[in-house]
Amino acid sequence: MEEKEIRQTLSDIREMMSKSSRFQAISGWSIIVIGLYAAVASLMAAAVIGVGDWFPCFENLQKYANLNTPSRIRIAAFIAIGLFALSLLTVFVFAMIKSKRHNLPFALDKRMCQMLLDFFIPLVAGGLFSMALVMQGHYGLTSSVMLLFYGLALVNCSHYTYPILRYLGYAELILGIIDCFTMSHALLFWFLGFSVMHIVFGIAYVLMFERRK
Amino acid sequence: MAIIDGFNKIFESKIRLGIMSVLVANGSADFATLKSLLELTDGNLASHTRSLEEAGYLTCEKKFVGRKPNTTYIVTEEGRKAFAAHVDALERFLRECKG
Repeated sequence: MEEKEIRQTLSDIREMMSKSSRFQAISGWSIIVIGLYAAVASLMAAAVIGVGDWFPCFENLQKYANLNTPSRIRIAAFIAIGLFALSLLTVFVFAMIKSKRHNLPFALDKRMCQMLLDFFIPLVAGGLFSMALVMQGHYGLTSSVMLLFYGLALVNCSHYTYPILRYLGYAELILGIIDCFTMSHALLFWFLGFSVMHIVFGIAYVLMFERRK
Repeated sequence: MAIIDGFNKIFESKIRLGIMSVLVANGSADFATLKSLLELTDGNLASHTRSLEEAGYLTCEKKFVGRKPNTTYIVTEEGRKAFAAHVDALERFLRECKG
């Protein structure tokens, strides 16, 4: 009886220490869902930019093929911005549901502000940088800049949540660096980084942290 | 109830142990954070932090944010040591049960 009690006490201590120091509200399912959004967005962008002529669902987007390259890229950029907003909203809503269900703290307290700040500083810098690249016509490097700064943002905020997030950041960084030195195939790298990696990481995250709950 | 070597009387209360768990993991925490993490009432939390303060395991820093009082609790070196010793004692006890 007493042994059981002490075991419980130790597990309570462990739980309280990790509950109080880590932001655990991020849901693995939301990571999978944003990976799926990114897959759809990549296909749309492929159709708009004109590398996806083979994809029949987006035939109506083919009319954009008459546009010149800058305006096609601009449409792709709008798709990316829309995807970003939708993904943020999704992660936020899933986190709210998860924290309510598991009674996790989810408030704009000091720790959450610090985490958001650490995440958004590299991300906003990278976002503005890739916008400048698009506006000045350096399309080729845009995808690697997005991957690199997203990777930095993840690494930068990972110590506020599950440290495993850091590895997704490293993977994005490696992919971004390979992308820098590869001519063309930008959209393929973008698809790998924002869709495939999110889906794979999201599944791993669910299996590791959310399966038993 | 057997009295076991190294168990700290102050940590017999689950609430005090909870407060120390949060403080050791984070270094410091404010009143509202502790209250929501441990799901306590104001008075209950205040009385437990007072006894921990009297034991020398934490210090509190009171300041005003605007007009609202804001209390931050900071774990002391002594508190860290006592907490670690208590957890060690619990683990040692479990090992002895097994062995």
